[in-house]
Amino acid sequence: MKTQKSDRPPVNPINIEFISQPEKIILSNKVPVYFIKGGNEEITKIDFVFRAGFTAEEIPLQSSTTARMLTEGSEHMTASEINHELDYYGITFNAASDRDSTIISAIFLNRHFTKALELLKEIIFSPRFPEDEFKTLMNRRLQWFLINREKVSTIATEYFFESVFGKSHPYGLRLNAEDFSRIKPAHLRNFHSRYYIPQEMTLFVSGKTPTGVIEHLENYVGSIVHYPADRKKSPPLPYGEKKRNLFIPKEGAVQSAIRIGSQTIKRSNPDFSSLLIVNTLLGGYFGSRLMKNLREEKGYTYGISSYLVSLDLAGYLLIATEVGKKYTQKAVKEIFKEIKILQKEPVKDKELEMVKNYMLSDLVRMFDGPFATAESFRLVWESGMDMSYFQTLAQKIKSITPDEIIHIARSYYDTGELYTVIAGPEK
Amino acid sequence: MIEIKRCCLNNGLRVIVHEDSSTPLAAVSLVYMVGSRNEDPELTGLAHLFEHLMFRGSESVPDFDDQLQLAGGENNAFTNSDITNYYLTIPAVNIETAFWLESDRMKGLNITEESLSNQKMVVLEEYRQAYLNQPYGDATLLIRPLAYKIHPYRWPTIGKEEHIKKVTLGDIKEFFHSYYAPNNCIMVVAGNVSADDVFRLAEKWFGKIKMRKVHTETLPEEPPQKSARKLTVKRNVPANALYKAWHVCCRRDPSFITLDLLTDILAAGESGRLQRILVREKKLFSSINAYLTGDLDPGLLIIQGRLNNGVSYEKAENELNKIIEEIKSTPVPDEEMEKVKNRFEAEHIMDRVNILGKVLSLSQYEVLGDASLINSEIELYRNVTAGMVSEAAGNYLKKTSCNTLYYISTAAKQL
Repeated sequence: MKTQKSDRPPVNPINIEFISQPEKIILSNKVPVYFIKGGNEEITKIDFVFRAGFTAEEIPLQSSTTARMLTEGSEHMTASEINHELDYYGITFNAASDRDSTIISAIFLNRHFTKALELLKEIIFSPRFPEDEFKTLMNRRLQWFLINREKVSTIATEYFFESVFGKSHPYGLRLNAEDFSRIKPAHLRNFHSRYYIPQEMTLFVSGKTPTGVIEHLENYVGSIVHYPADRKKSPPLPYGEKKRNLFIPKEGAVQSAIRIGSQTIKRSNPDFSSLLIVNTLLGGYFGSRLMKNLREEKGYTYGISSYLVSLDLAGYLLIATEVGKKYTQKAVKEIFKEIKILQKEPVKDKELEMVKNYMLSDLVRMFDGPFATAESFRLVWESGMDMSYFQTLAQKIKSITPDEIIHIARSYYDTGELYTVIAGPEK
Repeated sequence: MIEIKRCCLNNGLRVIVHEDSSTPLAAVSLVYMVGSRNEDPELTGLAHLFEHLMFRGSESVPDFDDQLQLAGGENNAFTNSDITNYYLTIPAVNIETAFWLESDRMKGLNITEESLSNQKMVVLEEYRQAYLNQPYGDATLLIRPLAYKIHPYRWPTIGKEEHIKKVTLGDIKEFFHSYYAPNNCIMVVAGNVSADDVFRLAEKWFGKIKMRKVHTETLPEEPPQKSARKLTVKRNVPANALYKAWHVCCRRDPSFITLDLLTDILAAGESGRLQRILVREKKLFSSINAYLTGDLDPGLLIIQGRLNNGVSYEKAENELNKIIEEIKSTPVPDEEMEKVKNRFEAEHIMDRVNILGKVLSLSQYEVLGDASLINSEIELYRNVTAGMVSEAAGNYLKKTSCNTLYYISTAAKQL
């Protein structure tokens, strides 16, 4: 049956001109604050970003445990008082670290704005890291770790990063159960005093922020004093392991997890936008080549995705899927086949139009509401860029040609360089 | 306050609109009032498999996803025991494409044998990924048949592998004609649109679809549970886990809100009683949670936790029971009541910060009877008293109507 073209409503151009730079102020202690105002609800989100993550650690788990221990006791409050207050004021609190940063976020109703700031100041800047709570937390984290280690998806992902970034680099670090007993509260105090300081901090305030917000921020955050701290030197650039194919057996698994990818360029590289488009074509949306082939035609998997991520020291490409165990080898073959097709055959008009419109509207979705907008801004800010990145990306999406796509696919998907990591049952 | 406008087409399709000019997007949600509860016990998983096929070709559009993506849209869907919900976001300038696509697949599907067998494979991989290949992944599959003996909630939405395999094109057609009618559907549109435009587009695209007789079955009522039930399984997981499920009221019952606050008193945030006492003070569990299934027919209140190594089930259950008994006998302090209400309010408002969250919330409330309930829900929670919480705990959390699952680790040392 044919599509009745006459029925189809016209597709209108998608514009992203509404994206604007956030307002920036500097508090008296030189802490930068970005405001992303918007939304209809009387609600605000604050992100405290410290540019210190795994790469700043002296010992594994140091940054994430420091973040997680903030609510476990402070100078004036016990853990149960802190947790009660956070819940009492309906504050959604989250503290976590990743490879390059520690991010502490709180979302709360505007009528609790000053209470929330007062509480956040106490929690973030005067933690005590008490021993008993520390032990309980580490036991809980160890249990999560042990459970996650049973999943083929976790196993494959961990070995993938170890292979791509190297065993000795913090980007490639694979945790062991012993790491959970090696870390001590003294490590947390050390990390906190080094990095939870004004010169390492940037604030992102989003939502329908109440009046007087700047004065309040000045009062609670601007008053935090500087003191000298020696930042750990950034580690060298990561280098991948020599071995490009890895199989990790997992007895009893009914699916295999497949991870394929490599290091690649960072967002600051002029080719990054084009590579993002190629990545989307390959596996970055539901209509992608990999999804159509491995799911919608062959039924090997519930889903397959490819990612392009930019970190401080490197970027990476990653294709990830879980497939029925009997399809493991066939799936790997099809993934490589799709990459090679992208490198050889020009993309047809209809598919190119589809991916272009999808990506332009996905840009719009990245700005759906003030919290999403703040997150999108933080992403480019971490790469040392600003909102103009999105305008450049939009231009590239509109202008990219089939030839450029072939060129980019050839330049950045060197099939001989890709790592293939599989976790699953033995054949 | 979320402003809502509504109309009902002659064919029974309800259309609800919320205008929000702060976003360049529009979000559209269609809820069909059909879920796994409507399935034949010998053909479970059909409602969910059917949801997958809704993307595989309709009367005049062979490629739903491609056409939507061409207009910049993105979509997904979910099926549960009661409903099937299809939702999408799209730049508001292209909203009409959503009407074209959704109306076309309401008119009729055009599914081939090939599509059917392909989506069976995809659903079986989904089953493996979500339930079989995850530690503790099959626990929910075990609890349902333990708690329900008669009601269709006894089988999970994902269904049974052997049932999924035997679904025919005939079954798919019959299911479509029985349930996918305009008069069995709710459509909610929110975003940078005008209500008048939405009503006009709804009439243009959906108005000609005929009202159909929707298959109505009287679902068997689950008889009251008279005695406690228990199931023990052994699995290769790192730690023992405990699951307890009690029969409670349906989502529309006024007591549901009281029970929701009760589960928050038990387990919301790090200050919930279960976390505070069982995880932090007594160190019996490494994690524990309490929640309601929230079904349209009487559902379950489930408490589930993972035991620390060296803790016996007996000890863990005794201490858990003490906390439950205390809620029944001792009024919850005012400050704690205020805390769970404040938390609810904040989360309720956070759900609507983006347009998709808003449209999905509105859909859920319309399923309960009226989308504008979204505006009165906070007040209903505010009106719950400590006495009501104790009473609800006494009424529902009875030892005799409890279903307990011991999920025993073959790796951990057993006591």
